[in-house]
Amino acid sequence: MNQFTLLLQATTSPSDWVLFFGHFHPLIVHLPIGFLLVAGILEAGRRLGKVSVSDSAITNVLFWSAVSATVACLFGYLLSLGGGYEQETLDSHMWQGIGVAVFAWIAWAVKSDYVGDRIPFGSALYLPALVVAIVLLGTAGHLGGSLTHGSDYLTQYTPEPFRTLAGIPPRTQEVAIKPITDVNQALVYEQIVNPILKTRCVQCHNAEKSKGDLRFDTAEMLKKGGENGPVFVAGKGTDSELVKRCLLPEEDDHHMPPKGKTQLTEGQIALLTWWIDQGAPFDKKVSELNVNDAIKPVLASLGTGAPAGGAGLAASGPAPVSPVLTMKLPTPDPKAVDELKQTGLLVLPLSKEQNQLEVSAVNAKAFNDAQAAVLPKLSNQIVWLKLGETAITDAALAQIAKLKNLQKLHLEQTKVTDAGLKQLKALPNLEYLNLYGTSITDAGLKELAGLKSLKTVYLWQTNVTEPALAELKKALPDVEFVGGISEQAVAEFTKAGAANAQPDEDKKN
Amino acid sequence: MDIQDEIHDQLSRRTFLGQSSAGLGTIALASLLNPKNLFAGASAPGEMPELGKPHFAPKVKRVIYLFQSGAPSQLELFDYKPKLESMWGKDLPESVRKGQRLTGMTAGQSHFPLAASRYKFAQYGPSRMWISELLPYTSRIVNDLTFIRSMHTEAINHDPAVTFFQTGSQQAGRPSFGSWISYGLGSDNQNLPAFVVLLSKGRDGDQPLYAKLWSNGFLPSVHQGVVFRSGPDPVYYLNNPPGIDKASRRRMLDYLAKMHQEQYKHVLDPEINNRMAQYEMAYRMQTSVPETLDISKEPDYIFDMYGPESRKPGTFAANCLLARKLIEKDVKFVQLYHQGWDQHGNLPNDIKIQTKSVDQPSAALILDLKQRGLLDDTLVIWGGEFGRTNYSQGKLTKDNYGRDHHPRCFSIWMAGAGIKKGMVYGETDEFGYNIAKDPVHVHDFQATVLHLLGMDHEKLTFKHQGRRYRLTDVHGKVVKPLLA
Repeated sequence: MNQFTLLLQATTSPSDWVLFFGHFHPLIVHLPIGFLLVAGILEAGRRLGKVSVSDSAITNVLFWSAVSATVACLFGYLLSLGGGYEQETLDSHMWQGIGVAVFAWIAWAVKSDYVGDRIPFGSALYLPALVVAIVLLGTAGHLGGSLTHGSDYLTQYTPEPFRTLAGIPPRTQEVAIKPITDVNQALVYEQIVNPILKTRCVQCHNAEKSKGDLRFDTAEMLKKGGENGPVFVAGKGTDSELVKRCLLPEEDDHHMPPKGKTQLTEGQIALLTWWIDQGAPFDKKVSELNVNDAIKPVLASLGTGAPAGGAGLAASGPAPVSPVLTMKLPTPDPKAVDELKQTGLLVLPLSKEQNQLEVSAVNAKAFNDAQAAVLPKLSNQIVWLKLGETAITDAALAQIAKLKNLQKLHLEQTKVTDAGLKQLKALPNLEYLNLYGTSITDAGLKELAGLKSLKTVYLWQTNVTEPALAELKKALPDVEFVGGISEQAVAEFTKAGAANAQPDEDKKN
Repeated sequence: MDIQDEIHDQLSRRTFLGQSSAGLGTIALASLLNPKNLFAGASAPGEMPELGKPHFAPKVKRVIYLFQSGAPSQLELFDYKPKLESMWGKDLPESVRKGQRLTGMTAGQSHFPLAASRYKFAQYGPSRMWISELLPYTSRIVNDLTFIRSMHTEAINHDPAVTFFQTGSQQAGRPSFGSWISYGLGSDNQNLPAFVVLLSKGRDGDQPLYAKLWSNGFLPSVHQGVVFRSGPDPVYYLNNPPGIDKASRRRMLDYLAKMHQEQYKHVLDPEINNRMAQYEMAYRMQTSVPETLDISKEPDYIFDMYGPESRKPGTFAANCLLARKLIEKDVKFVQLYHQGWDQHGNLPNDIKIQTKSVDQPSAALILDLKQRGLLDDTLVIWGGEFGRTNYSQGKLTKDNYGRDHHPRCFSIWMAGAGIKKGMVYGETDEFGYNIAKDPVHVHDFQATVLHLLGMDHEKLTFKHQGRRYRLTDVHGKVVKPLLA
């Protein structure tokens, strides 16, 4: 903090008053635009005989055009003292703006009763002055827009064939960023970092408008930094200005993007931090960097395909979210959803913004193997599947094995057996498996060793034995196996309660 | 859904689809005007109107709220204060009390003698949590529990305090917690209400409970809590009266629906649709309720686990068992109320009787949910409306004392999905009078539970009488350190 307060004081920045009024320029500037155009329209209408309007009315409009144009010029100058604009465009904009004011004054003067009569050939000057003022208004306004939004803002989305007719080059930059298909293969700077900067920062940090003498439009400029020095320190994400500024409270003057502009999301900040932490490489792919558990879900949300690697890295903060819960999925086919509903299943989206689905057989006890054939039609979207207490057997598991994004699977109180569990190996994202009340034995349990994401398995009221479980626990130390209470255990449970009780129990009156 | 939206929906559908003779063009136009209708699919008559979805992927799918009405004493159960032993009988120092408000019941006392718990505490689990000997069963499951020792509320008397906890406002009339959740999330089982209430009594003469605590307030009436009673007739007037069979009930409902639809065309009152939905729900419940609440197939050892009272309908233990049955059927919000914690006098004896009937079933419920794999996405909440004072109300003797209402600090626990297990959050001062660290306001607690359910408490709103209302009013912050 201290460091950059000092830096800011070192550069000579204009006083608050200057910038306060300066920031009113974009507001005030619209008044002369409106007034002058009205004056022009009235004048034209009057000359064509379409409008009946008195000279004094037009004079009055012209007077206010001239006044507001002058104030706009003054405020515009104050704003320019804040710096950060491309000098050449700024100069033209300024002189043209002053031109508008001057010609507006001339037009008013020759039109008015007091001054007009004392100027020889005054009436001959009127029309040219008004026309020049309006033309300059157009060009100055355009340059002003270019200064604020960038020079290609207006024509950025010109459609063909007008694009070629107007001689605008094809939208090269847009095409250059390839959409991410497989996150692992994505170029970290090109496809992840640069798009964030482009949408959130480049508007004010580009060739024409480089606030703080900082440009994010090319990799070279980003490396160079701005007037306060470099924006990132490779390997130190949270110490880098680029990230620090985003994390400051929005009310803070140094917060970026400035208050009122679209802010970076938590995920975008996390991605920038992660990229800098990894040394801010400009030519590496996601798969070449360390993907820790914290960044995994954020990366997964960028495209299809879960990011691999980094499983062993310690994650700080909250427990990692399964990538299948954050990845973008295609909209489910409404016909398939209807087919599922017709079998009595409930189909519920996980949330308003997601296409992930939970499918529940809570009221479909008769749901059977034949009906399970419908499930793979939504193989992308089904992440939670509740088939407890239904009529399914091992045959249905062959269909379930096709649900590659499945994270939670309820098979409790069904007729599934060891043989069926073999098929579940194909589920790379399965974390929760409920098998309580099934006839699973030790043999079936061993099949689970192949499930890489597995976190919790429920085995109450199955035929699994303690020794087999102990062995598997060694092989899968991160998996929690939840048993349950047996008749003997209950006896012990209630006894322990009594033993803990006070000796003077029930001495009530 | 906003009532205005619903009327608008109905209008556009009826005008453009129902009476349209111009074919596809009008369908296209109607869906342009209101795109969500195109894929909404035809809902069967009387089906629940399309309800909300979570704002983001939820950690918790269902909630069981074991509400301990009357305010259990945190000092006898969870919040161990050895300082009170050394200061036993001495006056509460003014430097601690700081003139804070008392109830009329003790404000007139000339002395505020500090009373230590008559019951011993011991530490349990890897996190070395202090639990009272009154809770031998709860102390066995501390690894699955998350304690908040720094709850505080604004109300000092029972009715406003319970109302505040359950509706976010001390004044009656707002929708209750369960109604907001039903409104925000809809139902995961179309055959049962999303919000079910179970009541049990500790003893006679307890603080009363009112139906307003599970009222839908200004939300559509489908979201109100439905009280299930233990025993053969769990829902009042649900069974067909003698002489009416299922088929004739069905015919009656079909004709009634026609009449309702006719009426709806004239007055466009969304409550008519709600009423139709409730008739249909009641019809489905005639089958689903007896099925769900059937405990005859529960093995003996399950009853033993919940304790001897679990066989007696209407007890807290029996209701805990029913709560599990309802959760197995994906009921969203099961609210238990257990009365009898308001121990102004004779506290040591009364609290012992009370804990005896509450401790074992509460712990058994957690274990039972866990072994069935339900604790993975169910949240269980245990707590009252406020705490109790560290000084005695009335005479303090070695064996007997009472405690008055104390809103400035109290303890609750939670268990289940989305929160850190085996953790204690927040601290009170050494007198157990004020909060020393990490206070959690009732609105913070509500915001956190909504967050776990996948809802942003600031976005869960309903427009009524010209303003948008929230469960958390204009307050509440999600307690992030609690989240797993």
